[in-house]
Amino acid sequence: MEGGSDVGAWSFYITTLLVYFVVDALSAFSLNLQFGYAGVVNFGFIVFQAAGAYVAAVVTLGPSGGQASFQQYILGSHLPFPLELLAATLAGAVLSLVVGLFALRRMRRDYQAAVLLIVSLIALQVVSADVPLFNGSNGLTGVTWPFGQLFGATATGSPFLYLGYAAIIGLLVCLGVIWLSRSPWGRSLRAMRDHEDAASAMGLNITSLRLQVFVLGGAIAGLSGGLLVEYIGAWSPGAWGYAETFVIFTAIFVGGVGNYRGVLVGTLLVPIIFLEIPRFLPAVGYPGLTDSLEWVVVGLAWMLCLLFRPRGIIPERRLKASLHGSPREPAPAEGSA
Amino acid sequence: MLAQLLGSAADGIVVAAILAVAAMGFTLQFSLTNVLNLSFGSVMTIGAFTAYLVNVAGLSPWLGLALGTVAGALATVLLGRGVLRLYARRRTQLFEMMMVTLGMSLVIDYGIQAISQNAIYGYTVLQGSPIRMGPIAVTPIQVGIIGIALVLLVAVEAALHLTKLGKALRATAVEPSLARSCGIKTSRVVLVTWLVSGGLCGLAGVVYIISTQSVDYTTGELFLPLIIAAAILGGVGSLRGAVVASLVMGLVTEIVAGFGGAAYSTVAGFAILVVVLLLHPGAVFGGAEDRQLVL
Amino acid sequence: MSGPMALGAVDPQVVPTPGAPVLEARDVAVGYGGVRAVDGVSLAVYPGEVVGIIGPNGAGKSSFLGALGGQVKRSRGHILLGSRDISQLPPHERARLGLVRTFQTTSEFARMTVFENLVTAAEGDSGASLKAVILHPRRTHLREQELSERAFGIMERFEMTHTADLYGRELSGGQRRLVEIMRCLVRHPQVLLLDEPMVGVAPHLTGKLIDDLRGIAADGLGILVVEHALEVVRRLCDRVVVMAFGKVIAAGEFEEVVADPQVQAAYLS
Repeated sequence: MEGGSDVGAWSFYITTLLVYFVVDALSAFSLNLQFGYAGVVNFGFIVFQAAGAYVAAVVTLGPSGGQASFQQYILGSHLPFPLELLAATLAGAVLSLVVGLFALRRMRRDYQAAVLLIVSLIALQVVSADVPLFNGSNGLTGVTWPFGQLFGATATGSPFLYLGYAAIIGLLVCLGVIWLSRSPWGRSLRAMRDHEDAASAMGLNITSLRLQVFVLGGAIAGLSGGLLVEYIGAWSPGAWGYAETFVIFTAIFVGGVGNYRGVLVGTLLVPIIFLEIPRFLPAVGYPGLTDSLEWVVVGLAWMLCLLFRPRGIIPERRLKASLHGSPREPAPAEGSA
Repeated sequence: MLAQLLGSAADGIVVAAILAVAAMGFTLQFSLTNVLNLSFGSVMTIGAFTAYLVNVAGLSPWLGLALGTVAGALATVLLGRGVLRLYARRRTQLFEMMMVTLGMSLVIDYGIQAISQNAIYGYTVLQGSPIRMGPIAVTPIQVGIIGIALVLLVAVEAALHLTKLGKALRATAVEPSLARSCGIKTSRVVLVTWLVSGGLCGLAGVVYIISTQSVDYTTGELFLPLIIAAAILGGVGSLRGAVVASLVMGLVTEIVAGFGGAAYSTVAGFAILVVVLLLHPGAVFGGAEDRQLVL
Repeated sequence: MSGPMALGAVDPQVVPTPGAPVLEARDVAVGYGGVRAVDGVSLAVYPGEVVGIIGPNGAGKSSFLGALGGQVKRSRGHILLGSRDISQLPPHERARLGLVRTFQTTSEFARMTVFENLVTAAEGDSGASLKAVILHPRRTHLREQELSERAFGIMERFEMTHTADLYGRELSGGQRRLVEIMRCLVRHPQVLLLDEPMVGVAPHLTGKLIDDLRGIAADGLGILVVEHALEVVRRLCDRVVVMAFGKVIAAGEFEEVVADPQVQAAYLS
């Protein structure tokens, strides 16, 4: 990472972790809306974040220099803030709409999840191999921060500023997700999750609900990708292997499926404390060994969560009738035994 | 143009042969256990690395082929009997079972990444000079791979239909509870299936790296989409279906690659599945709603 | 503020003309592969009556109910709700027009409270759409209050108010059945399809559930019920239809139908 000359190494490091935390929290909220609330198992989540990151990168990098330059890409332009983030959000939404239209058809849930995993594996192969698209496996570098440029700052040169910027956007979106989850629409999602046939027999349009939550989640994923790439300045296939999706899933499992406070705790524990901090510690063995071992541990944690099926650190919260603005207080439960 | 097409078609048949070996294994275990095993690609990688190690030790590549097969079989039995049974005892449902296999896949893939130091290793064995017939050029080992696939198809089909165990397997796949009450030891049937399908998986890993001449920790994972697509397209449980679907997949991917779309060859194969899915959702996925776990 | 009627607004075509059936099946067939599960069943349900379907196992009763509700693909025939042909509509649109159902294995939303189970049922209406929730927060809020009133009204009627905050999965078998039925009523349906509503209900409570269902029918609903227990059918239903091998083999009052030698033969075979 470059820049940060006038900021102490430690504060830069902490700030970087916090920016990652914002991005991961956005991902986890979006995935929790899809998985925890709607029961849609999006094993290709990271693809939509990647789409946002790539689009935010190319629309700020300026026109591509073509084959002659050190990196080539499509859609090169100089979009100002906030258009570049909107473009990233839109990219996530459009891609998830396209994928959702065939992947969310009525079929066995394990097929559905496998199809989404396959999408993730194939997308990575395509983007790595098709160099004119997003510069292949070398990826894109030199991405800037349009909002900071308005007053001469860069993301890595002014990390505190960037953190504040990302945190405000992240907070607004996360609050929006919580609000939607508690709305009647969110309640419909939970009904669909609990019993699809009964939900449709009660008049809920399952196909449409599932696509809505998939596209909304994809849009948030795209936004999170945009926020990430403007900070780290580079994006390549190495950043979005299929396994990245499962880090977010593990965070949700650990924290508590369906509970956003739990999801925040899980995000702090898994992608930040567990995965990011060792990257700043002295390396063990050959370069990359720590990374590999971390992934093994994520896989084991994932399997343990499934084995013991914990409700997470903070389980889903019971929404009592009185919380829905009910005019009447229900009588206390008279010993249901 | 035509020459190019014929050349690609020949390559396609070789890919199809490799794919067919893997897809037969996949469809066999999937139709019996109903667990969509996402660690199948990782086991392929285990088989491939075993063959690589045999080669490093200076032993015969044919021994590598054999040991790769054994490694695949043992790894699959270990996962199926050791790990999945553990979950089955805690009443894990089918869908969660698939998530478990995904966790196993992460552990195996990145375990191999750690051990292999995340490097790509060359594996050039049994190559020989290509036989040329006009635009078509195939190496003897490629012909050998096609032969292996055909022999396996005939052998497994024969075993399924002629042996007692094969008949028991087919009965269990259709109606496990009925099979059990008819005195079939389903547990033994499942064990044999893990062994056979795992062997096919390991073998596929070895012939795959003979063909691509290199191996790394992603070897199986990158092949997995085509395997799943071929198994589903061929109709789960049908060996002949899996082979025909593999042929279609192999031809399409290699022809697309041959005409300049190398980056999109896997997409093209997957697109076939998507198109079939969109046109006839029932044909591919029909009637599989209330399958139960058999372990 | 919109009145209660706006919530349960019903397609004018669906309102039955006096004396006409509210639900009519004409020559409905269902086939799985080569097997004909339902083979040309016709019947009609009038407002205010309870019609029972009985028959031996594998007679195609549940498949027929599925064809009416839209869960099972029908291979032939027509289904009319009021005067409107709903044969081509997906399940959720049939529900929005006033045809709701329960399932053979209870289908309560397990990780939602009873209260939420009830209010969710009303959300097939556009009021719970993403667009309405985002663009009209105030209208959504008023609607929620109204729904809450309605849900508590129904819970009181079934003496289930004390379970309002319990999760679906925390209920007894009988309570789950009641939640399913209450959930249907929130929608102000025209027709209620019940698939074995007495399974899992404690014997001493069946009498009350029968009275409740008769009460619901008295409000003008048509109820079609698949039931195994003949004693329940006798007390609950105005008319009975007997199915065997996918066909209707007898129909009429309970006593005369069970005396029919053809029916007795079907049950014995």
